[in-house]
Amino acid sequence: MSGLLAVYQKELAGYFRSPIAYFVVAVFLLGTGYFFLYNIFFTGDATMAGTFHNMGLLLILLVPLLSMRLFAAEYGAGTMELLLTLPLTPWQIVLGKFLGGATLVLAIAVATVVDLVPLYLFGTPETLAIVSGYLGFVLLGLACLAVGQLASALTHNQIIAALIAAAVLLALWFVGHLQAFQVSPALRALTGYLSFALHYADFIQGLVRSEAIAFYAIVSAIALTLNASYLQWQR
Amino acid sequence: MSPESPAIVLESVSKRYGSATVVHDVSFTVARGEIVGFLGPNGAGKTTTMRMIAGFTTPTSGRVLVDGYDMATQNVEAARRIGYLPERPPLYETLDVRAYLRFVAKAKGVARAAMAAELERVSAACRLEAVFRHEIYKLSKGYRQRVGLAQALLGRPHVLLLDEPTAGLDPGQIHETREVIRAFGEDHAVLLSTHILPEATLICRRVAIIDHGRLLAIDSPSGLQRAAEHTNRVTLQVTGPARELREALTAVPGVLDVEIRPASGEGSALHVECHVEAKDGVEAEIARAVASRWDLHRLERQQPTLENVFLRYVSGA
Repeated sequence: MSGLLAVYQKELAGYFRSPIAYFVVAVFLLGTGYFFLYNIFFTGDATMAGTFHNMGLLLILLVPLLSMRLFAAEYGAGTMELLLTLPLTPWQIVLGKFLGGATLVLAIAVATVVDLVPLYLFGTPETLAIVSGYLGFVLLGLACLAVGQLASALTHNQIIAALIAAAVLLALWFVGHLQAFQVSPALRALTGYLSFALHYADFIQGLVRSEAIAFYAIVSAIALTLNASYLQWQR
Repeated sequence: MSPESPAIVLESVSKRYGSATVVHDVSFTVARGEIVGFLGPNGAGKTTTMRMIAGFTTPTSGRVLVDGYDMATQNVEAARRIGYLPERPPLYETLDVRAYLRFVAKAKGVARAAMAAELERVSAACRLEAVFRHEIYKLSKGYRQRVGLAQALLGRPHVLLLDEPTAGLDPGQIHETREVIRAFGEDHAVLLSTHILPEATLICRRVAIIDHGRLLAIDSPSGLQRAAEHTNRVTLQVTGPARELREALTAVPGVLDVEIRPASGEGSALHVECHVEAKDGVEAEIARAVASRWDLHRLERQQPTLENVFLRYVSGA
């Protein structure tokens, strides 16, 4: 347990001492603020639905910038040799890093809560829809992080890691669009099931489905398991 | 695990990358209270062997035991007993020295209550007090090396693996680092890789010599010293009669053995190799003995280099 905690604390310290984390958080909050204002003034409705959708897409684009350093930077600095020779199991390393990134995703989510202040001051938004939207946002963020972290373990180059992660995440976000072109019901169901955006849309509408929660949890678990196995296999 | 059994055991360890065999069937042991030097030229397989003992790389065949724990199956237990300084110190540039050492100590399971004392102990041993709060990217090469050594000492490991620990240090720092290693080696097992001959002979009790991935010999420093002295040679090119030349050279004090053969493409000139004692001034005596009677074209004193020492071990002398 202390090994996992050590990795987690080191990751957090690493984030707050690098400019990238501040840049990502700043861009995310500016983007969210812009979309929030646009959606409110455009529709005149006291709802977060449009903003949540935009936040999801921002997450897909920005999480790769947070996850790219998790392993690629360790290879580059030669510190992978330290991590793998300390008395740590691959799972302690993988989870410690994942929780470090997850803390940042949570911090981003908490920071956007400021947008709710005018919403509640000047309107009567649906609280349950907002809560479920945030739940979806965090689950989506964790799944993106797990995929990005796996991409980072596969390459020594941080830029390549970010590009791989962004490509995979965009594909998973937009795969639902293929539904319209599928004749076979099985393929329609599959493309729909794989879509990050469609599951997320349920949460935005205030629909918390166990299937959607399980989907993000399974994607995260698969990515993290592959990540830990890859570390073990590398020795 | 009995206290008598060696702290590091390598049993027929080999490592292949594709078709290239980097380490070939290496076996040796290091006991507690012993500093063993691991000597070889660059690319001999030292770092790969170190990495296999540290658990960073798995051997293709053979077994590594640390304090009786099999590195392949009891990785975490074995790793708990090792302090490892890789060839390139593994440092997190943006952390300060304190945060970095805290991370390593915590990962090694140092208890919260013992943390401050443990950090103080290693930073005193490696003279890091002055840079304790500095970010690592601001440190000089010597300090970086010492921070790397400090992290290896954290958690009082039974076994210390040091891959070229004095590389890049100035003479004063080299001396200090050797003292730290010597003190640690009194009751721990230390394996120290180097390609510097005097380093191995100065602080090690035994020296394992590796070249092209094969263990050539395990010798005492004095044996190594003898091998090194054996490589003291003076070579010269002279025009003159071979028999008289040999007689004159053998009569010079300090010359042990003389080899004469025709020099390639130099007309009647001869190439002479004298095997000499390791003392100064022998080459001057040789020059005097030869130049007064014959034409001396060239004279050169060869220092005992690692390569020459290796040639001695390879040729089985």
